[in-house]
Amino acid sequence: MTGAAAAGLARGPLGASVAHPGPGAIVVTSSTPLWYLTRATGVVALVLLTIGMALGLLIAVRFEGRAWPRFITIGLHRNMSLLALAFTAAHVLTTITDNFVPIDLQDAFVPFISPYRPFWLGLGAIAFDLLIALTVTSLVRARLGHRSWRLVHWTAYLCWPVAVLHGLGTGTDTRTRWVLLVTIACVAAVACLLGWRLAQGWPAHLGVRVAGAIALVAALAAGGAWVVTGPLRPGWTGRLGLPAAGPSQLGRDTRGAAGHPGVFRPGHSRPAPAAASPAAPTRIPA
Amino acid sequence: MSELVLTVNPIACDAHGVCASLLPELVARDPWGYPLIAPGPVPAELAEHARRAVASCPTLALRLARVDRAGGSG
Amino acid sequence: MTAIRATPPGPPQPDPAQLPRLVTPGPPAGLAAHLRRHGPVPALSGPALIASIEQAGLTGRGGAGFPAARKMRAVTTAASRRPGRGRRGGAPAVLANGAESEPASGKDTLLLRQSPHLVLDGIALAAQAVGATEAYLCVAGPQPAAALLAAVAERQRAGLPEAGVRVAAIPHGYVASEESALVNYLSGGPAVPRYVPPRPAERGVGGRPTLVHNVETLAHIALIARYGPDWFAAVGTPDAPGSALVTIGGAVRRPGVYEIALGRPVTELIELAGGTTEPPQAILAGGCFGGWLPLPGAAGVPVSPPGLRAAGAAFGSGLLTVLPVTACVLAETARVLRYLAGQSAGQCGPCTFGLPAIADALAQIAWQGRDRRTAEWLRYLLPVVANRGACHLPDGAVAVAASAIRSFSKEVEQHVTHGPCANASRPPVLPLPRTAPAGRP
Repeated sequence: MTGAAAAGLARGPLGASVAHPGPGAIVVTSSTPLWYLTRATGVVALVLLTIGMALGLLIAVRFEGRAWPRFITIGLHRNMSLLALAFTAAHVLTTITDNFVPIDLQDAFVPFISPYRPFWLGLGAIAFDLLIALTVTSLVRARLGHRSWRLVHWTAYLCWPVAVLHGLGTGTDTRTRWVLLVTIACVAAVACLLGWRLAQGWPAHLGVRVAGAIALVAALAAGGAWVVTGPLRPGWTGRLGLPAAGPSQLGRDTRGAAGHPGVFRPGHSRPAPAAASPAAPTRIPA
Repeated sequence: MSELVLTVNPIACDAHGVCASLLPELVARDPWGYPLIAPGPVPAELAEHARRAVASCPTLALRLARVDRAGGSG
Repeated sequence: MTAIRATPPGPPQPDPAQLPRLVTPGPPAGLAAHLRRHGPVPALSGPALIASIEQAGLTGRGGAGFPAARKMRAVTTAASRRPGRGRRGGAPAVLANGAESEPASGKDTLLLRQSPHLVLDGIALAAQAVGATEAYLCVAGPQPAAALLAAVAERQRAGLPEAGVRVAAIPHGYVASEESALVNYLSGGPAVPRYVPPRPAERGVGGRPTLVHNVETLAHIALIARYGPDWFAAVGTPDAPGSALVTIGGAVRRPGVYEIALGRPVTELIELAGGTTEPPQAILAGGCFGGWLPLPGAAGVPVSPPGLRAAGAAFGSGLLTVLPVTACVLAETARVLRYLAGQSAGQCGPCTFGLPAIADALAQIAWQGRDRRTAEWLRYLLPVVANRGACHLPDGAVAVAASAIRSFSKEVEQHVTHGPCANASRPPVLPLPRTAPAGRP
């Protein structure tokens, strides 16, 4: 690690840098580019997924303009969703490849079995699975038939919020201002379009619409309250069993590498490696 | 000699109008937005556009069938 | 005496010119009376029966007028093409349509009440001819269903060969008795039409090839099997052989169901019903799916499917309703359209929106008048709405409306120029149920 010697960091058991900003707190940072890629692709995937979701809602409300015929919305929705899948796959790939954290291939597809932040990562796995299902069924839509395709496509209303929660709950960058603003903008855009979708065709299916509207408002309120009291509070990642802090806390001594959330703290959620060789990173059995 | 015929399942059709915007040469819209398909076979130069319109229909109501000119489909 | 039949000869062939053939006046015919009159069902092979029906030239009596033998061949072809497919192995089914949702029609109800065993014979014969293992008899309500169940039980007790006829009561609604709607209902879905292709003959109840015949058609099949195609075609015309049940109503002295030889002129049938009670203006032939025959011009029109079609009307399920001169054709037509618009299943856009638009335009012309644009709008609408639904409800409605404004263009001109005629505000003549449309927007 390049910055290790200059910042007075020692080498840790997994070949990463371990910083000691003070007694009682162990911070592990990694300046591998994979770590940046994971976060970057995650944010981009969320934005693309939001755009795909927004375009899907525009299809549902039959948005149309003189210079914007229906088939543009449909074509863009398809392409943006495919791009979202591509970036989500990249996000997953970089996370798996970054073997500083014990996230493996199965954790990306099977939720809640990861030893690392099982719940928040599990949400990501759910969103990823749903996104794959949405994509595959849409590609074979003609063969599948409209009814079955529609049934699976309704899960988009689950996939997007789960992805947002995954990002808020597990993302290191939740407290970074611009990422937070992007997330809020995504949520606002989808919320507005959801409101439009619920209002259109009023008053047919009144019960479902009212229930949906109530659910939307409740979800926004609950989500907002949770974010403010949870991830936005300092030490959120600590409460997850990890002492890592954002760059604002570490100051400048980590040479641009932000706090790495994949910190192993002895005595916490996972057992220590039985025999760890200093050179080769190993996967800790769950 | 077989030809391509464009039909719509009127039960599945929900008047989205994507077919009319992608294939205006053959599909117009009635006063309530439902498709009015020009009678007769699909000309060869429009076949690809017709296929795209069929794939883009949000409810898979638009269909393209190949029929024999002699017998027809029944 | 022919040598074909293997069963003991039944009663002698009745006089072919003697009508009625299908029903006997008096109380309903129980099994014993039925067997005394007609004898047992002969043992005919499937192909022989279908050939007999084809030679007789029997066409469907449910409204569509499709050649009966051709439909049966379509079912046997479909069944041979798909062995072992479908939930119950792909064996065909027979569906007897006695639901009769046309408001002015009463012939199927009468036939099922008076001669249920003739219909049940027809079902058994048709089932044997197409190799069906299931048979359904659809009726309009619980009351006819109960009587028919008793008739089926009577036959089972007497040991007659049955295909296990299941009697089903169909929900009310004009489109509920449409072929694909019945198939949909019996397959577990709602009684609304499905999109065809595939036709019920290929994929019907439970995915199996299904032969759907009107109950009167099946009764004729039961008679053809006994007395032969030549006997059947001894009445009627070459292009419309045989006899048919018709419901004559409106301004006649003796409204009711009559069995007639096809092809007789309209006036002869009106005389059969006792003549008119008032001077007649027009006849609605074919009910809600038919067309207007202005009188006296159309007095000689032959009452048969091809004859009425040529005159711009339709035979439908055998309906003739006489409109007196004291009624307004446009007002009556507007009421028919209003009823039909309310009967739309709401599945197809052109029907759901087009029929109310046509009904509104006709109502405007009939009762408000003085609006030429409405008449033009109506003329534009009619071809736009026709042939764009999954079933023939919009086609029938458009046919009635088009025939009214075509045959009574003078009256239309009168209404839009000078306002509604005095007759428009008189009580209605055509029998239509007073049901409100089921909550449709």
